Amino acid sequence: MADEILKIKDLVIQYVSDGEVTEAVNGIDLELKEGQTLGLVGETGAGKTTTALSVLNLVPKPQGRVVSGEVFLDGENVLEKSEREMEAIRGNKVSMIFQDPMSSLNPVMTVGEQIAEVVRIHDNVDEKTAMARAREMLETVGIPGERAGEYPHQFSGGMKQRVLIAIALACSPKLLLADEPTTALDVTIQAQVLELMRGLKKKFNMAMVMITHDFGIVAEVCDEVSVMYAGRIVEHGNLQDIFDNKRHPYTEGLFNSLPDINNRKSSLKPIKGLMPDPTNLPSGCPFHPRCDYVCEKCSKEMPPKTWINDTHYVRCWLYENTTESRLTEGE
Amino acid sequence: MEETKKIITRKEILKQFKKKTQFQEILTRFLRNRLAIVGIVMFAIILLIAIFAPLLADYQTEALGMNPSERLQGPSMAHWFGTDEMGRDVFARVVHGARTSLSIGFIATLFSLLIGGALGAIAGYVGGWLDEVIMRVMDVMLCLPEMLLAIAIVAAFGTSTTNMVIAIGISRVPRFARIVRSSVLTVRGMEYVEAARAIGANSFTIVTRHVLMNCLAPIIVQISLIFASAILAISSLSFLGLGIQPPAPEWGNMLATGRQYMRGNSHLVLAPGLAIFFSIFSLNLLGDGLRDALDPRLKQ
Repeated sequence: MADEILKIKDLVIQYVSDGEVTEAVNGIDLELKEGQTLGLVGETGAGKTTTALSVLNLVPKPQGRVVSGEVFLDGENVLEKSEREMEAIRGNKVSMIFQDPMSSLNPVMTVGEQIAEVVRIHDNVDEKTAMARAREMLETVGIPGERAGEYPHQFSGGMKQRVLIAIALACSPKLLLADEPTTALDVTIQAQVLELMRGLKKKFNMAMVMITHDFGIVAEVCDEVSVMYAGRIVEHGNLQDIFDNKRHPYTEGLFNSLPDINNRKSSLKPIKGLMPDPTNLPSGCPFHPRCDYVCEKCSKEMPPKTWINDTHYVRCWLYENTTESRLTEGE
Repeated sequence: MEETKKIITRKEILKQFKKKTQFQEILTRFLRNRLAIVGIVMFAIILLIAIFAPLLADYQTEALGMNPSERLQGPSMAHWFGTDEMGRDVFARVVHGARTSLSIGFIATLFSLLIGGALGAIAGYVGGWLDEVIMRVMDVMLCLPEMLLAIAIVAAFGTSTTNMVIAIGISRVPRFARIVRSSVLTVRGMEYVEAARAIGANSFTIVTRHVLMNCLAPIIVQISLIFASAILAISSLSFLGLGIQPPAPEWGNMLATGRQYMRGNSHLVLAPGLAIFFSIFSLNLLGDGLRDALDPRLKQ
């Protein structure tokens, strides 16, 4: 168990505003081994970002509330740590890259200062050493070191994202949470940034949680995939399980909404309906109102995990009694 | 050949354009505003006069030394602004009065900036009940006219320069607190503040390095406007006899004594009056110019 860098157990997070309860995360389990990459896939509002923030213990307070569950980072439960202890962990053991590189950099500080800041917070070095390290990090992400004295508005979007990656990696974290790091970039820059992240991941030997809604990115960088829907993981497996052996109707729907490169005339098959309102989730399986294979049981009870094989599980009543499934011990 | 040469020069121009720093951009925008230039030049002259006052007129002999034989003279080559009822040179007194007004005004502004800024930043960043408490106290203070509050403080603690600084400073705390709080509220929700938390920065670092640095524009503008109001307040208090006491030269107390001789010797009130007018006018022009230059929404 020692090589498990991240372990989330039965995490439930809610947002309360004006007496209305938004159920953002509803009991998810995750495990991530050192050096592995997990893809967290789902629509907007599925609770992906909230899950990532909980690892940093940064769920916005007082609206956000961790109702139950545990988040173990390198064997320690971060949800029980004090703010001061968390400050030592954030940016050091675990880093996060945010979605929008345009607004994630402070406009009035040079990029060098911003990279040096994280080094100075965690490594107890003087300003000169920190700046030297900042320049080094810029070179690592493919930006000339002499640009450290420039301000964020002098950089392009792709370069800003590189700077953010440099900030995130400056203290060689064991775990990197990447929250849709390429959504704000155009496709060619996306490819460059992904390539860079993959290379750096290997170089620093860190684990990564890649939050995305793009299966192309998942296929490129991830080892395992969790598909999230309405705050639950509905299907989890390795790349092969999900891409070639997908079971959950929602995963199937997601793949069907991708254009088919071999048959470009075929129309897309979007999933009918809309994401459920998280303040008022449907009973039972939250996907049942949109599901093509809905049965009576679906609206009554949340399906348990059904293990298809050692790495692949799905939460759907369709597979409750299938012969190939074996209900695993502990479920 | 000529083609390539052209392309290179264009690239260089673009490069130069890109290298323009934020400060240079603000400066160009500021310099485009004629009134702002008038303001800054006027203020610079007043500031230089204040700094080099001892070179223009000696404090002991000219600003304080009485000479009854030359009392109540009109402007002349020897006495540019004439002399007052005790035969003192009015020009020397106005020049030395500038020192008092500017230095006390500056300290009072700094005082209220530190207190108001800290309160506003705490209220805006922490929020919750602390925000409520701080801002309701500020609201109560805003209910009282600033001048009345300052008079009350000076009257309660006695007239001295220190008390005047405190009185003027405290009465302007709510203005700073409100403006800092509202700027902090807009910046607090920015993604780079969240990103700073995600790298393990503590609240103090976040507020001082990330939040307040992004609130500087409105604060700078407010400083220039409050500086002007502090100068006016010093003169008002001195006029009422609660500030700088005669015989020390101060624009307000010069006005107060000159008032009695106003009919025959208007220069006694005109000189300090115009000094007050020009210093406040220049600071207000400067403040307006700064606001236009610092506000990127007005950027062309």
